[in-house]
Amino acid sequence: MVKDCTFFTRKEILRLFYRYRDLAPQLVPLDYTDKPAVTLPYELIASMPELKDNPFRQRIAEVFSEHGDGNMTLDNFLDMFSVLSEMAPRDLKAYYAFKIYDFNNDDYICKSDLEKTVNKLTRNELTPEEVSLVCEKVIYEADVDNDGKLSLEDFQHMIIRAPDFLSTFHIRI
Amino acid sequence: MQPPAASPGPAAPAGAELLRWQWQEVQAPCLVAAWILVASLAKIVFHLSRKVTSIVPESCLLILLGLVLGGIVLAVAKKAEYQLEPNMFFLFLLPPIVLDSGYFMPSRLFFDNIGAILTYAVVGTLWNSFATGTALWGLHRAGLMDPGVEAGLMDFLLFGSLISAVDPVAVLAVFEEVHVNETLFIIVFGESLLNDAVTVVLYKVFNSFVELGPAHIHATDYVKGVASFFLVSLGGTAVGLLFAFLLALITRFTKRVRIIEPLFVFLLAYVAYLAAEMVSLSSILAVTFCGICCKKYVEANISQKSRTTVKYTMKTLASSSETIIFMFLGISAVDTSKWAWDTALVLGTLFFILLFRAVGVVLQTHVLNRFRLIPLDRIDQVVMSYGGLRGAVAFALVILLDREKVKAKDYFVATTIVVVFFTVIVQGLTIKPLVTWLKVKRSDHHKPTLNEELHEHAFDHILAAVEDIVGHHGYHYWRDKWEQFDKKYLSQLLMRKSAYRLRDEIWDVYYKLNIRDAISFADQGGHVLSAAKLALPSMPSRTSMSESSVTNLLRESGSGACLDLQVIDTVRSRRDKEDAAMHHVLRGSLYKPRRRYKASYSRHFISPDKQERQDKEIFRQNMKRRLETFKSTKHNVCSSKSKARLKEKGRKKKNISLTKETPNGKTQRNIPWQEAAPVLVMVSSEEEESDSSETEREDDEGIVFIARATDEVLQGKTTPGSLDVCPSPCIIPPSPTLAEKELPWKGDQADLAVYVSSETTKIVPVDMQKAWNQSISSLESIASPPGTESGPQHRRFVCPVLEEGRPQSASHVTPEQSSCFQFPSHISRSGRSQSDSSPDGPEQQELQPLMATEEQGRMPPTVEPRRLMFHRASHL
Repeated sequence: MVKDCTFFTRKEILRLFYRYRDLAPQLVPLDYTDKPAVTLPYELIASMPELKDNPFRQRIAEVFSEHGDGNMTLDNFLDMFSVLSEMAPRDLKAYYAFKIYDFNNDDYICKSDLEKTVNKLTRNELTPEEVSLVCEKVIYEADVDNDGKLSLEDFQHMIIRAPDFLSTFHIRI
Repeated sequence: MQPPAASPGPAAPAGAELLRWQWQEVQAPCLVAAWILVASLAKIVFHLSRKVTSIVPESCLLILLGLVLGGIVLAVAKKAEYQLEPNMFFLFLLPPIVLDSGYFMPSRLFFDNIGAILTYAVVGTLWNSFATGTALWGLHRAGLMDPGVEAGLMDFLLFGSLISAVDPVAVLAVFEEVHVNETLFIIVFGESLLNDAVTVVLYKVFNSFVELGPAHIHATDYVKGVASFFLVSLGGTAVGLLFAFLLALITRFTKRVRIIEPLFVFLLAYVAYLAAEMVSLSSILAVTFCGICCKKYVEANISQKSRTTVKYTMKTLASSSETIIFMFLGISAVDTSKWAWDTALVLGTLFFILLFRAVGVVLQTHVLNRFRLIPLDRIDQVVMSYGGLRGAVAFALVILLDREKVKAKDYFVATTIVVVFFTVIVQGLTIKPLVTWLKVKRSDHHKPTLNEELHEHAFDHILAAVEDIVGHHGYHYWRDKWEQFDKKYLSQLLMRKSAYRLRDEIWDVYYKLNIRDAISFADQGGHVLSAAKLALPSMPSRTSMSESSVTNLLRESGSGACLDLQVIDTVRSRRDKEDAAMHHVLRGSLYKPRRRYKASYSRHFISPDKQERQDKEIFRQNMKRRLETFKSTKHNVCSSKSKARLKEKGRKKKNISLTKETPNGKTQRNIPWQEAAPVLVMVSSEEEESDSSETEREDDEGIVFIARATDEVLQGKTTPGSLDVCPSPCIIPPSPTLAEKELPWKGDQADLAVYVSSETTKIVPVDMQKAWNQSISSLESIASPPGTESGPQHRRFVCPVLEEGRPQSASHVTPEQSSCFQFPSHISRSGRSQSDSSPDGPEQQELQPLMATEEQGRMPPTVEPRRLMFHRASHL
């Protein structure tokens, strides 16, 4: 079952399922045994009031959704929490963190990706020059192979260098 | 400290006195000053021997010193004097320490661990005091104690409450030298700060119970005790928050009275302490939270100088308070009149506080680890148990006991002194070897990288988003909410508009990293120089580099709260000290040249006439247009550094150009120079004035003179902090074209300072190359083409070989060449070269004969200043 694919217990999965269903009770059936092809449209997630101010809401939904369109199935939904659970290995976390940063999905964090991240984080309070400076510095710091963009290896290398770095990338359900 | 009896007969005021002995009037402050002086001198003596202080904590040494001094006082005065008075302790000595620790508390770490800290502080302290109290009572009931110890259960509980609280002063003093990892430190230290509320309440409640007598205690009194705990702790916190708010608000409006900014910080924090004390709330909590909460806003509002003042004053006050506290603890212990020794009580107390501390820690950690992401392991628990030091708070509280009500006060005093001495001296001495032996994770002071900062923020948001999606209101949720609230309302209300934007943490880190890079580069530069003996050629580059890095430091720290993260560290690491030392070295050695020039500089020295002013206007307009094209490509990674550097350069050049006006005797040169000078002045004064338009200024700087570009190349090249970019002389072939092709730094440092030689003439950073071409072509359209073409040509001033040959010819050729220039570039170049070259008159003249032989055609004037700078540097 799903349980084998995630790091959750049955109880936790059920809890997540109910949460998932609560998001769109009219769409999601209670009975999931025959695996209906239900997806939660991105608009539903984006419209959550708590997420209104979150700069990464769209990106998260996109990364964890199957087709990168932000629409989530239950599996996607479970995956998301699975990755963030304490049991998930560090590499997996790093991989998904990397994917979240990689806005243009080219498997590299390039400068434009970073600029987007910085802009999101600073809520556009920095001038473009400053953002650009910061991004270049970030790349310079972490770019091991000197190709001007960060590959997954660069990213992992950087994360390993900082010991308790990914330890914050946890969530308790 | 002369006894007052030494005053010469005040009884006979016969006639007018020349002098009068007024010891009585100054006695009290004089004594205070004398004690502080003694303590401070003692500190100096301790630190004379690095070996001693590395093994023995300072607090131990101070206590021992206090014992000795107390013995001397006792021997001389036949009675114990100068003791640690509870009032003095609570009103004057404790607040600075608590304020210091609150203000410099790493707030993120603190709030990340607030759950654990609160648990240990509240539950742990309650457990400790009750368990210790009842166990001692049991010991007493078992008849193991001297019958002289007249104490009931309440007395023992009272004693337990005051003896069981971990003391912030002692913990800070010892842990500062141990350098355990931050989490461990913040938990122990946070506990010691926050348990004050519990201690105060328990102490007061039991004290009143003892006074009432066990027979008169009603059930409501217990309820009152519990209620008063919440009142005292929450009330204290509220007072702290209120004053933090006031403080932040006040500092928002101190723009015109910068000088009293630090005063406000101290004053309001102290008033917060007193206010809480006045209504018997927890004053320690008040000051702690006042410090923690106001910091963000206050630091953003006050000026850099005030920030430094606050920091140092706070550290000085806290450090001297700590010194005095420990010394007086030692002195007070000598007074045997207060003592009443009971071996069973002393040993029992020691045993129980150690035992119950350990048991409490283990039990609580067991529970806490269920909720912690990073569990506290066994080793952490050992250090936490062992780090439960008792100190001056316990001592002051026990002295405050009323002998009438608490019959066994003397016994308690003696026990407390022994416990304090035992924990501070024995545990303080052994905790360092223990930490080493257990291989406790030490604090690692790795450079905070921009990546970390960035990802930390991003993770926070991501996690908050995920928590939102799952509808789980966890820690991230609340922090996210708080940050939004802070951004939307608090910061708007409490921060200046100008400061508000600078508060962005990512940008802060960027600033800080740049400063570090600059410092470390300067550091490295020094080493490489001494090692490789690259005496002449590399010298100017380094001088200018380090000089600018200092300016950079000053300037940048002025604009951003860049020192924040580092300063936050209450653990003063060696690295920080080194950085500071480096800074001082740089200041000491590098500021002199600049000042020298400055001394002879006067802005009004040259009064530009009408013609010149017109020229200047036209020139600037032309240049500005060109700058626009330049602007976009200009920013490379190090450009914020180069900004400062450019500024520095500009000023320097300006100074040179102005100061050396008179020695320039050649009429031929005078014309271009005079035209150039005003321009120079203009630009640099603009730099000085403008604070806001950094980029614009940068651009102005970068292009107004082509010569400036050379600076940039040089700086850009040297920026990455590795000196291997510094080309070795032999690589450079003598001919310019060849040199262009084989520039040694061409391949180096592809990321930061890529220098590619383009078209045989230009050496520019890769990202500037295009701009260069543009600007040069545009220059060509205005100025005479040949001159401009050669402009950026010889820019490898770091190369010794070129050093020897080129410059002479350059200085020679320049005048005539410049005279044939069209107006704008003509001004800039020739003027620059003239003005810059002129200072080193004698050397130049020495070189004159050589120049004749060199027929290099168009030599760039820009070479000239550079070379001269070498010479200057070598002189220095």
